[in-house]
Amino acid sequence: MSATRRTFLKTGAVGAVGLVVAVKLPAFATDAAGAGFQPNAYIHISPDNVVQLWVTRSEMGQGVRTTLPMMLAEELEVDWQQIHLVQATTSPQFKGIRLRTSGSGSTVGTYPALRKAGAAAREMLIAAAAELLQVHPSTCEAKQGTVVHPPTGRTLTYGQLASSAARQEVPKSPVLKPPKDFQFIGKARKKTDGAAIVEGRAMYGIDTLVPGMQYAVMERCPVLGGSLRRFDSSKAMAVKGVHSVIPIKSGLTPGVAVVADNTWSAMKGREALKIDWEPGPHRNFSSAQFLQDMHAAVNQDGFFVRNDGDAPAALKTAADKLEAVYEFPYQAHAPLETMNCVADVRKDSCEIWVPSQCPVEAQNETAKMLGLAPEAVTVHVTLVGGGFGRRLFSDYVHETVELSRAIGKPVQLLWTRSDDMRFGYFQPPSVERITAALDANRTPVAWLQKSVGSDLTMFPPSAEELKNLHRYFDNEEPWGEFDNPYNFPHLKADYIPLESPVPTGPWRAVMYPSRVFARESFLDEIAHATEQDPLELRLRLLAPGDVLKIGGSKIDRARLIKVLQVAADQSHWKQPIAQSGGRRWGRGIACNVYDSDCYIAQVAEVSVGKVSHDILVHRIVCAVDCGLVINPLGLDGQAESGITWGLSATLHGGIDFKNGGAVQSSYADFQVVSIEEAPAIETHVVDSGAPPGGFGETAVPPVAPAVANAVFAATGKRIRQLPITPAKLQDA
Amino acid sequence: MPAFALSVNGVQHGVDADPDMPLLWALRDLLRLTGTKYGCGGGVCGACTVHEDGEAVRSCLITVAAAQGKSYVTIEGLSASGDHPCQLAWVEEDVAQCGYCQAGAIMETAALLKRKPDVSDADIDAALGNHVCRCGTYQRMRRAVHGAAGKAVKT
Repeated sequence: MSATRRTFLKTGAVGAVGLVVAVKLPAFATDAAGAGFQPNAYIHISPDNVVQLWVTRSEMGQGVRTTLPMMLAEELEVDWQQIHLVQATTSPQFKGIRLRTSGSGSTVGTYPALRKAGAAAREMLIAAAAELLQVHPSTCEAKQGTVVHPPTGRTLTYGQLASSAARQEVPKSPVLKPPKDFQFIGKARKKTDGAAIVEGRAMYGIDTLVPGMQYAVMERCPVLGGSLRRFDSSKAMAVKGVHSVIPIKSGLTPGVAVVADNTWSAMKGREALKIDWEPGPHRNFSSAQFLQDMHAAVNQDGFFVRNDGDAPAALKTAADKLEAVYEFPYQAHAPLETMNCVADVRKDSCEIWVPSQCPVEAQNETAKMLGLAPEAVTVHVTLVGGGFGRRLFSDYVHETVELSRAIGKPVQLLWTRSDDMRFGYFQPPSVERITAALDANRTPVAWLQKSVGSDLTMFPPSAEELKNLHRYFDNEEPWGEFDNPYNFPHLKADYIPLESPVPTGPWRAVMYPSRVFARESFLDEIAHATEQDPLELRLRLLAPGDVLKIGGSKIDRARLIKVLQVAADQSHWKQPIAQSGGRRWGRGIACNVYDSDCYIAQVAEVSVGKVSHDILVHRIVCAVDCGLVINPLGLDGQAESGITWGLSATLHGGIDFKNGGAVQSSYADFQVVSIEEAPAIETHVVDSGAPPGGFGETAVPPVAPAVANAVFAATGKRIRQLPITPAKLQDA
Repeated sequence: MPAFALSVNGVQHGVDADPDMPLLWALRDLLRLTGTKYGCGGGVCGACTVHEDGEAVRSCLITVAAAQGKSYVTIEGLSASGDHPCQLAWVEEDVAQCGYCQAGAIMETAALLKRKPDVSDADIDAALGNHVCRCGTYQRMRRAVHGAAGKAVKT
């Protein structure tokens, strides 16, 4: 199978993930100068017994600065207290190792490599101890940062062994610990940076300060595809503290940057700018019109996604049919830390500090801009105040590099909240039409789905790809439509791409949220129309719990059945929900398989006001099988986080475009769920014995349909357009 | 630029700034107290919350001119060694994910508990209802507030 976009997001283009670790890199392992022991790119042990571990993914809340060192420490057998974490930069040390953070792939993509790296180092330390003690290595044990020789009780610290370990052969196939001996993996561990965060010491991109740094903000063209005609900087330059006003072309949107002594002066200077924009061809673009176009496009023939059996024929001979259309709007990422970057462009080099999910891409793109070799550009990854896919783009890095080059000084470019909300890459909207054919026994026998969406800007299809009419199937897209886990004798799925001028990119859970909302809502509609329990219908459609092989994916239906059952049991699905407080109560269920390796089911409990139609989500019970759990505390957190994210798009959210620009510009008009609205969340882990899967995004997609289905159970009203609002319930 | 005196974390600082400069940017850019975070600049998200004479306020909405004669505490000054009951409870409950908004929530909570040590869920909703956490750490935040309340009562 060729590398799909999914594998690119998840594990990167480098095929043999992390095998680099087994190679003895000459620059590392030797220790002629007493520099310590560095068996591979991830580990360095110094003679003073400090164990440095490099973190090769960006920490944006998902916990990599905790889980990745846990995997290393497990095999290395170190005391957690002696670990000193270092964030990987784009240096030669990590050549061939993925530094990109996306696709819920940080655990999946590092687990084998980090365990192997830790185990190799441990075996070399043991070999060094055996040599020094003149005993057989098999009589020595690694323990808490030391090697012990139990027969004699002699103990050497890793620091003492560093020099001689560096002279040992790097083992090709180090022996990994049996899971029963795990001391870190599977044990709850609090966040590494917890204390630094609560004391205000944690350093995010926005906190970067380099000597001589100036501060900048930038006014961007308010219309998509517009351009700069002319500007008058005289008033801006008159603002105290403003140094320069520079037009910037290299970002996603053209603009004019104001550079000053501090952020506030730059902001005041920006307000004083007079700019004449050329609005360009999209000046009348409106998302309302675009969504109408999407609804119209649903009648077109689409690209091949799935075609099992003969669904059109089954529909013709069906006793009855059901059909519904669902809609999902544009969404913004809206991380708390707005886009920002510090760049210092010098004559022959450039240094960048940035909260990025893709430092190597930022490095390569910067090198290209500046005509430098990639090695001349160093990208330092700071803590990331929320990524969610937005920081897989380096548009804001390009702007900062262009600006630093223009002024010849290091500069921080900060996006304001309004910039961040209006000028990013958005989750594209989608319209899904699903038709089900029912036989004489009211059993659904055919599923026909038309998905209308926009291709993500980050993955423009090549000319070669455009000729391939099976390109969406070959790419296993759209997620959630392609990997529909249910067992229909006849299943036809098509995809109709419809592009808008809005830049689009991966948002948490990428293509799943809209398709899973439609799929799981429609299953609920089938269940009610055929008078079946929505859980039982799903279980029937997943029987006999076999493995669905589709494209390069294998979906284990038995694992999905199991999480559905656990979520149902834990939520008392079979018992009627009590009607109290003068409100209408209901439960809804939904499930999904994220990228074939993470199985999730959720039951939502909601109540709806009888007159006000206000929606309260009281509890979400979540059952998950994502294989081996590295950090149970981290998994719980990601479930809470993903569910809250999904709920924000269920009850609020949505970005509208009018006259070619985004309408919403702050958390006041692009609302996210608040503490008052946050439901109780219970997560139950199902242990299938499978290897670890990714869980950063998995909890997002089932939320909207679980809530929509619960709202239907409570009110008998079916909302097929997100967000679900009191006004829509009033009108329904 | 006029010079202003800012009292922050018990220290008097002289800053040369535009009178309209929000306290947020004076703290961050001029005093390099970067624990106070920029989130929206419009008082909506709560990331920049600090204490003004003991009350939780949004530093993006206060100008340095208006800050004269008042006494401010930022996250860096909340405790001498990170051992304020809120900080301890936040670590204990492992609240933070990306962590960016947490200083604001902690400062809000510290002021709330001072005012009302026996805090209820409704008090928490009222105080933290306008603090945006895009990671959705609200359940743990709530537990941490209750945890800190317990500790605050004990001490």
